[in-house]
Amino acid sequence: MSQIVVPTLGHRLQSIPRSWQRLTALCIAAPAGLIVLACIGMLTWSYATARIRAPHDEQHVLELQEKARTDAAFASELADEQAMQTEFRQQRAAKDARITLMLLLASTAFVASMKWLVSLRDRFVPLQSQFVQLRLPPRAPAAAGSRSSALRRPESGEVSAIDLSHVDRIVAEIGRSAEAAIPILQAIQSIYRYLPDDALHRVCELTEITPAQIAGTSSFYKQLRRTPIGEHFVRVCHGTACHVAGARQVTDELRRHLEIPEGADTDTQQRFTLDEVACLGCCSLAPVLMIDEHTSGRLTSLSAYDALQTFLTEQAS
Amino acid sequence: MIAAWRFTALVITILLSTTLWTSSAFGQPAPYDRPVDAAPQAKNIGGGYITPEVQKPLPRSYWLEVLDVALLAAAMILVSWLVLRRRNRAWLLLVTIASLAYFGFYREGCVCPIGSIQNVVVALTDPEYSIPIFVTAIFFLPLFMALFVGRAFCGGVCPLGAIQELVLLKPVRVPRRLDRTLGLLKYVYLALAIWYAAQPIADRDFVICRFDPFVSIFRRTGFAHMIGIGIGLLALSMFVGRPYCRYLCPYGELLSWCTRFASRGVTITPDKEIDCGLCADACPYGAIEKNRAVRKSCLYCARCYASCPRTGPMVPTVRSEAAASPDGGRS
Repeated sequence: MSQIVVPTLGHRLQSIPRSWQRLTALCIAAPAGLIVLACIGMLTWSYATARIRAPHDEQHVLELQEKARTDAAFASELADEQAMQTEFRQQRAAKDARITLMLLLASTAFVASMKWLVSLRDRFVPLQSQFVQLRLPPRAPAAAGSRSSALRRPESGEVSAIDLSHVDRIVAEIGRSAEAAIPILQAIQSIYRYLPDDALHRVCELTEITPAQIAGTSSFYKQLRRTPIGEHFVRVCHGTACHVAGARQVTDELRRHLEIPEGADTDTQQRFTLDEVACLGCCSLAPVLMIDEHTSGRLTSLSAYDALQTFLTEQAS
Repeated sequence: MIAAWRFTALVITILLSTTLWTSSAFGQPAPYDRPVDAAPQAKNIGGGYITPEVQKPLPRSYWLEVLDVALLAAAMILVSWLVLRRRNRAWLLLVTIASLAYFGFYREGCVCPIGSIQNVVVALTDPEYSIPIFVTAIFFLPLFMALFVGRAFCGGVCPLGAIQELVLLKPVRVPRRLDRTLGLLKYVYLALAIWYAAQPIADRDFVICRFDPFVSIFRRTGFAHMIGIGIGLLALSMFVGRPYCRYLCPYGELLSWCTRFASRGVTITPDKEIDCGLCADACPYGAIEKNRAVRKSCLYCARCYASCPRTGPMVPTVRSEAAASPDGGRS
């Protein structure tokens, strides 16, 4: 089913700072609430005075009627009294109708602005704008000599012209026979973090290993990969315990929020490579994932990105 | 199995509605003519008094009645499309506001399907009474709808539901046991309504209409105690999701019986959704149990979809087939 994305008012309002929104909502809610209370008070007052007045008025009219029956002089007084009472009732009805309308409008404004306030307070579904920060932290300068700098992925500019002298050195160290295929591929991967096609061609040129053997070996073993790897390697545990605790959901959420294309395992910015592994050995923390050497457990599909975010901020600091 | 039950229920409702229709079409309507001489006449009053030609309020025009029924049907279809297909709460809210404005404030909450229970009961028990065909239609249309797609009527069409829906501010979670116990009040209310409606004409009383808490708000007039109850219930529904619908509405009970046979409805399925539980937290009516929607108590508000990180706005959707492929989407 295709989803049609309609940006709601709430999303359009995101560009306005929350404190401003809160102030505006309060500025509407407070007077509207006061008007509501005042209207209810006025209506109650109007009802109460009318209720208190009604028996007296009725009594008065009855008395005047009684008098008018015997004395014609009271007839005009009776007519005046009745006209006055009628006018009072009509005025009350008209005033009440106006107050009711105001009450309706004010309560609508009050409820709407209070809803706005409430929506500002607990927005606990993380919105897309917050994940942008997660994806674009300042790139951590790699510490010299550390593992990550030694095994750094070649920058995108270097990919076409990678330094093949490493391959020459490896082949010289390990050997040129067909049995050396696996050690050579492992050594190449330890340098480039994947098996670049250029390096593999070079291996074929230098050794007795055929391209078919290389293709077969490199696609058979899971430890060897032919596509470039992201800067960080995320291993999501799909062992029994983690599977039961929702590893599928965690993986799906990470794939979605890292915008990893269908069929790939690395996001387009080459920051994270996602892998599903059998067991990370800490089933009591299920579901678990490892970002490079950093482990996070007891995840939910929501806290999975928090784990990535925490990892990145720790890296940056 | 469900289809068979639904077929039975459909046959029953069709039979009932045609019975009522034919009885109203061919039955002898009770004479309702106020003799002109019962009203004050010019000779009694004197002066320049002119006897008005019309001695009783004119019935609503035929085409306006047809319009009401058509609008009811159209609104229900629109609501079920918005909720089940588009999963969109923003447009549903617009329909809710429109329904509140038309069926609530303009039509002043009458005729409504909730009150029409009593007309149907009277029509079934009193051969003298002829039920208007529009009332029959208004009573049966939401039930027909509920047999197929669930309580679409409650979602954005019923004005009583709409006014409570719109004021809901910060719902508290009613404990499940209390929720169930209070829900039994609906049966009591339904039984009372049927009992009083089935009385002979002298003792007959339409309690649902008499104690309709919001009709005095729609009409902006009424008995002081009913206005008080209405305002109190609205204040309560700022914190408890739709208290009238969940604990009192007798028609809601009929609708929830019908939803048992529905083949469609609000679903939170494990394939498309991710079982994160956000929808269950967002449901103010306690209609999501163990991360699955309970059709009989689902009031079609689409909050579950609005709160879903999967179907929520501005979030790109990813086809789950890629992640579910055997190699986990690895190339």
